[in-house]
Amino acid sequence: MADTLDPGLRRWCLLAAAASMLPLWLQLPAWLAAVLAATGLLAAMIQRRLPAALRLLLTLMLGGLVMAAYNFGIGRDTGCAGLLAMLVLKPFETFSTRDARSLLGFSLFAPFAAFLQDQGPLVWSLSLPAILLNTMAMAMLTPGTSTPTLSWHARQAGFAALLALPMALAGFWLFPRLGSPLWGLPQNSKAHMGLGDRMTPNEWLDVLVDDAPALRARFLGRTPPREDMYWRGPTLMDFDGQAWTRDLALEQRPAPTLRPLAPTVRYEVTLEPTERNDLVLLDLPVTAPPIGTFDGDLTAVTAEPINNLIRYVGSSSPKMSYVQPLDGWSRRSALALPPGLNPRTRALAAQWRSENPDPRALTLRFLQWIRRDFSYTISAPPVGINATDDFLFETHQGFCQHFSSALAVFMRAAGVPARVVTGYAGGHYNGLGDYWLLYRKDAHAWTEIWLDGRGWVRIDPTAAVAPDRILDTVDDLQARQGGIAGLAGGVLSPMFETSDFLRNAWNQMVLGFDAARQKSLLRPLGIQEAENWQLVLAFSIGAVLALAMTLWLLLHEQRDNSDPLVRAWRRFARELAGTGYGKLSHEPPLRYLDRLAGLQPDLPPIVFELGRNYADWRYAGLQLGDDEKTALTRRLKRFRLRSVKLAG
Amino acid sequence: MAAVRDGVERFGDRMAALALVRPKQPEALPVQINRRRIYVLPTGFGLFVTLLIFTMLIGGLNYNNNPALLLVFFLAAIANNSLVRGHLLLSGVRLKALHAEPVFAGLPMTLRLRFDADGSRDRLGLELLCGEVRCIFDLPAAEETEVAVDAPTSRRGWMNVGRLRVSTLRPLGLARSWSWLRPDTRLLVYPTLDNDAPPLPEALGDGDSPRSRSHGEQPHHLRDYRDGDMPRQIAWKASARADRLLVREYEAAVARDVELDWFALPAMPHEAKIRRLARWVVEAERSGSRYAMRLPEQRLLPGCGPEHRHACLRALALMPGDSERHDG
Repeated sequence: MADTLDPGLRRWCLLAAAASMLPLWLQLPAWLAAVLAATGLLAAMIQRRLPAALRLLLTLMLGGLVMAAYNFGIGRDTGCAGLLAMLVLKPFETFSTRDARSLLGFSLFAPFAAFLQDQGPLVWSLSLPAILLNTMAMAMLTPGTSTPTLSWHARQAGFAALLALPMALAGFWLFPRLGSPLWGLPQNSKAHMGLGDRMTPNEWLDVLVDDAPALRARFLGRTPPREDMYWRGPTLMDFDGQAWTRDLALEQRPAPTLRPLAPTVRYEVTLEPTERNDLVLLDLPVTAPPIGTFDGDLTAVTAEPINNLIRYVGSSSPKMSYVQPLDGWSRRSALALPPGLNPRTRALAAQWRSENPDPRALTLRFLQWIRRDFSYTISAPPVGINATDDFLFETHQGFCQHFSSALAVFMRAAGVPARVVTGYAGGHYNGLGDYWLLYRKDAHAWTEIWLDGRGWVRIDPTAAVAPDRILDTVDDLQARQGGIAGLAGGVLSPMFETSDFLRNAWNQMVLGFDAARQKSLLRPLGIQEAENWQLVLAFSIGAVLALAMTLWLLLHEQRDNSDPLVRAWRRFARELAGTGYGKLSHEPPLRYLDRLAGLQPDLPPIVFELGRNYADWRYAGLQLGDDEKTALTRRLKRFRLRSVKLAG
Repeated sequence: MAAVRDGVERFGDRMAALALVRPKQPEALPVQINRRRIYVLPTGFGLFVTLLIFTMLIGGLNYNNNPALLLVFFLAAIANNSLVRGHLLLSGVRLKALHAEPVFAGLPMTLRLRFDADGSRDRLGLELLCGEVRCIFDLPAAEETEVAVDAPTSRRGWMNVGRLRVSTLRPLGLARSWSWLRPDTRLLVYPTLDNDAPPLPEALGDGDSPRSRSHGEQPHHLRDYRDGDMPRQIAWKASARADRLLVREYEAAVARDVELDWFALPAMPHEAKIRRLARWVVEAERSGSRYAMRLPEQRLLPGCGPEHRHACLRALALMPGDSERHDG
């Protein structure tokens, strides 16, 4: 039956499996990671098979914990944690070579699963040693009489990895990709933070302190001024007194037609996965990128949720006018307010309107008020049911959500159509890579009001806050909490800039590669849009070349270790074969030379002299000094039949 | 170590019977394994890893997950290269010689195979399969290795070695590369010895009976145990002192020729006669007598010594079988 595994070998296999699990393990919630690590250690230490009932119980318990960690939701993250739980339990039944192989095989899945959650260079750099350890463990499991040293195994694995590179790269660049997925990526059970469908000014949002990058943008050509960098996300039209939400019915309508009033700028956005359908474009977008379409609110949406890093080129103009007037339905929606709420705001709006109904004048007056009386802080005091009233007349403190919401409510109360737009504002310029980085915490909200004859116009009431009244920002909060991000603005800034530059380079080179870019791979060969068969052909050629290179390397791994003089003689004999009479393999040198002398009498004497010298050294025990030997080797090597005149 | 063969291995074994599989004929030694006769098939583990890689490939393509795809292609390339490496481990291995001391049928015969290889590649973890017996050996660069495997014997006469398999699971255990060897070497198997044979027949002519000499009181000397010695001849006390089996050798004062005559045997089955004569050859050689043997259509003149013993046993081993004799 199955042979038992040597304990040392078992340790190695478990180590390789653990290395494979590491990237996935790092993605788990801390307490679950601790539980799984403890289970794995226990399983590694127990050297004998536990009763089946106990193993079943452990499996059920871990399964329950995993489900509990993700609030009993089924998702990609739950699946990944489940896989890890199974892998952690596997050592409980790893006692034979066969078990060890199945453990190694299954653990190869772990880095793959980790990539479904995080495609960053960190996971890759952890996966590479894991693969090396895995191949080492596989090699150790093959039978042999001698036990090669660890360094021998390490060298073999390293050599195998190097040899695999050409083939792996050929596959990666050239293997035909799917233009559209066969099935969608399962969603995570826990949603990522990001721009949402909903904005509740009164609510604290985790996104405000989320340091994860949201997008990177590179301008193709002119870079607009930083104060114009508003990155537009979903538009929120409906307000129920507490929360702003999207009006899905309005979004179903055709996109409005716009006419640019200022030069357009072009830019390339690399958007981190959001698990949502909305693209982020610079305000105001002129055209939707090829992967998305505009909805009625000028938000570009994709057909599938964005589960991977994507890249697209957008073009925008900071100033545009809407061609069509606002239709009745949209106007009603953009003026709707929940009845009975915020009476003081309504009264003030009615009063201001009676003094001057011009929307521009109303806006200007509102912004001046904000500048005079309001402060920016992310630790805004709580407000009651009349949230806008409380903010405008009591607390006078808030952040972008409060300001944009208050302005929109006020304008609606004053009879001007208004809505809230969410997105990102500002950005951090990376000089190394010439691109702008926006973090999730750069999420912002602003207001748009409708001006007849011009269309929707962006107003950012938050920007109107007097600079000396900006009390408490996200960075302050993080500095107080002592996070690394607090330092980011200071001493460590160049380091962060470099690391993000590297990250961006990885994104551009590895992550952003897709079917579309693959089609343009063959452009240097004059093929604009490669067909599938052309790609298959290119892949085949690439694979064959890679395989040939591998073979060549493998064959040259064995060097000719024989004496240089012997090698020189072999070359010499090959050269002499050019006379038409080659040396037979069983023929000693002298007999061959005799035969040659009979057949080609006019060969120069040097040939026979060289041959005799060699035979004396090789067979007659003639001792040659190092110099003599080198000289003979050189003369044998340099001999050319061409330089010798042959009769006939 | 008789490991259980997996499905792929059994498949390979079955394929070996096909006419296309090289070598098609038994061949003279030395035999060098070249690329035309190396077969590579994935092991069960290899199939499992292939399935895994394929699953990951589909997943990576579907999600257009580039790091995952890079991982998949990396693994696939490593797996693919391991097949080539396995092939190269075998390519160039040479079976230089195969020999074995004759044994009595029924006893295992130790085959000694000498391998060497071209090139400077260390070939570790090779496996020789002979019948059901596996033997793992290493073949370092520029060295010769002798591998000994025990092959069962059942019948007297010439034994064909049959198919030997040199294989390796290296480097990763994902695939078995193997090559069949069919040396045309014939190995001699002596007949089985008759275990309850009567004592040697009386010597020719008159004089003392060889029996009394053969079982005299004073042992002449002790010698190492050889296959076929009677247990009662073992000198147990001396063996215990020497830590190896020793056998008492009795002095044969007067060497008389013993005639081992096929036709003088009582009526008994054909093979039984051969077994009895074989036993007598061994006994006669041990007693130090000269012995002659008369077989149908064959006569061996009196003689003694290892060569004579071998000649007699060989003649017995190669006696036609009962049915053949009647037919011819």
